[in-house]
Amino acid sequence: IMNAFGLIQIGLILLCTTTTTSSLQCNHLPLQQRKVIENSLQLLDRMGKKFPQQCLREKKSFRFPEQVLKPRQKETVKIAIEEIFQHIFYIFSKNLTLAAWDGTALEQFQNGLYQQIEQLEACVIKKQTHYFRSKEVNRLKLKKYFQKIDCFLKDKQHNLCSWEISRAEMRRCLQLVDKVTRKL
Amino acid sequence: AGQTNLKSPQDIQVYVLNTNFTLRWNYTGNDTNVTFSAEYRFEDFETGETEWKELAGCQNVTRTECDFSSAITKYYDKHHVRIRAERREEVSPWSSIVEMTPYDIAQISPPGIELQSINGAIKIKVSPPEANQVQKMWIDCLSFKYNLVIWENSSNAEFRNRSIFPIDIIDDLAPDTTYCLKVQAIYPTDSKEGLFSPIRCVKTTHKAVNVLFCATNVSVIALNMKFHLHWNNKYKQHVSYNVQYLIGYLKKLYDDYSMKWLNVPGCENITDTQCNFSSIITATSGFFYLRVQAMSEYNKSCLSNEVKVDPLVTNEIGPPAVKVDISDVLLHIQISPPGGSENEVMRDHYDLSYRVLYWKNSSDNEEEIKTKEVKQTIGTISDLAPATLYCVKVQAFSKAYNKSSHFSKEECIKTPGDKILPLIILATFVTALFAVLLVATPLGFALYQAYNKIKYVFFPSCQPPLNIEGFGGQLFNSPFLSTTEEPIENCSIIETIITEEANQIDFKDYKHSKQSSRDSGNYSNDDDTSGSKVSEETLEKEIV
Repeated sequence: IMNAFGLIQIGLILLCTTTTTSSLQCNHLPLQQRKVIENSLQLLDRMGKKFPQQCLREKKSFRFPEQVLKPRQKETVKIAIEEIFQHIFYIFSKNLTLAAWDGTALEQFQNGLYQQIEQLEACVIKKQTHYFRSKEVNRLKLKKYFQKIDCFLKDKQHNLCSWEISRAEMRRCLQLVDKVTRKL
Repeated sequence: AGQTNLKSPQDIQVYVLNTNFTLRWNYTGNDTNVTFSAEYRFEDFETGETEWKELAGCQNVTRTECDFSSAITKYYDKHHVRIRAERREEVSPWSSIVEMTPYDIAQISPPGIELQSINGAIKIKVSPPEANQVQKMWIDCLSFKYNLVIWENSSNAEFRNRSIFPIDIIDDLAPDTTYCLKVQAIYPTDSKEGLFSPIRCVKTTHKAVNVLFCATNVSVIALNMKFHLHWNNKYKQHVSYNVQYLIGYLKKLYDDYSMKWLNVPGCENITDTQCNFSSIITATSGFFYLRVQAMSEYNKSCLSNEVKVDPLVTNEIGPPAVKVDISDVLLHIQISPPGGSENEVMRDHYDLSYRVLYWKNSSDNEEEIKTKEVKQTIGTISDLAPATLYCVKVQAFSKAYNKSSHFSKEECIKTPGDKILPLIILATFVTALFAVLLVATPLGFALYQAYNKIKYVFFPSCQPPLNIEGFGGQLFNSPFLSTTEEPIENCSIIETIITEEANQIDFKDYKHSKQSSRDSGNYSNDDDTSGSKVSEETLEKEIV
């Protein structure tokens, strides 16, 4: 119990520091986010060439849980977007030598995502845990989705086809986020 | 399954740390020779609930806790766990079911820390929880943020919290002092805070003698997306500089990024204390770190502090250019966006709007300044007073970024007024006059003619002379007037006789003349009535 109390205290301190920063520059977040996602989609295309025909048979359906982007509250959607960006950032930080993609485009892609993750973290106010519980099922589905992709890449030892399939999947994911961001 | 006096276990709790699952319970009954066994089942989103299965690691345990990490693999699914006591053949009833989703209750273990005391600062290297594990609860280790708590190892020490990167330097410390610290990992999107690492204490070294030729006061000045780095150096001679940059996200990774600093093109081996690094920045490129490496003639180098650049936030918006034009009482303003019309970046990423300030520039300076906000690069101001000098200045601003530029130069223009107005009035007057004349003259003329005709018809002013009247019909009879004159002898007209006779004849003549007017072309007098003969005679008389 003491442990928990201590954690809550630290949590409050952290929350205070995050809320003070969020009161500063968060107005530009929607505008910047739209631009970065637009740019990220372009970079994804630029990174590699057209989807190789031979990889078509290995194509797998991952089933992105679209309902995670549909809740009525803005804050919940923003947290979901932050999580999606984090997972994509993580996936693209892995061993990409076999993918043989354009390094500069990849760097810019990662840097853009990272900036958005930092902005969202500073600006989105995360309320108490009870606020989350009702939406947790969707977020767990989201984690499962990315876990599937991670496992898929590991199983295929990060070969070219597995990377190309993942890239196409991430592109689709970002497009869904793009649609939602325009409505926010 | 015989008679059971055995009580079921109580207060069952599941404790999860990373992927280590521990089941704990209380047993209030007689616990001699009692063992416990647990069962579990899980609920998959797709397949639904499974059957109860034996919980590996929690079979026939004698203590009131067991480790069942090997049994659980589906961390995102809901699990049910129950346990019962056993003694030889006796089994207790199943305990109440504990429902849990592993991920939700899992706690983050402390991260690993490596410390190094260098030059009055502490270099810290953090390794993530589950660093070398194959099976992970926290698959995405890059999402961790690390919270450092540091304090001086003295009484009444202040605890300071700060967020650190996996590889970071804590340099706002006093030299030769012992500091204690602890770090926890946080998973931001889940608002999960991990356990703190054990407290570590380290003593800072003394700060090395301030290297003279290091670059100091490194700052960024950016205008219209042109980025310049400026710095100072007390030691002016024989120092060359290398400006380096680091792509922001590299600090988030666990790899050592010290080898990943790159030279800014065009700022290698320079002697100037400034650098234009616009070539590496674009509006959507994210964060960058910049530093200056100073090199002395003795091949010694010194690195400056780092500066973080967030392009659109660091950049300042320059003033726009303004052109004014006047037409009647409308003032047209043409705005050239900052950075030029070809620079789409500013407009695109800042979503620029313009604030137009305009005022009357008259001798008394009490004129109020009016404002108008426009989104396009063309604006119009109406409701202006004529013959007044108006001045305009424009400021570009971004509502989203809460940034505004300086004002543009003032542009003044005078609204058309006195000079033209009298001319207009005169012109209008003259035209009107002309128009009136144009219409009035023929009208007047026409009226005059009409008047004349009417007057002529009803009130003829031209009376034939009385003597001619006496001749009456004869002369007027014949339309054919003889031009040959009768020889005129001395004769005089006896007015008095004629007048009497004329009076008598007057009416007759009148009648006759009426009659004769019917005749046409005939000048024979054979048809004449007696009256006419009489008149002939009288005429002859007169002539003679």
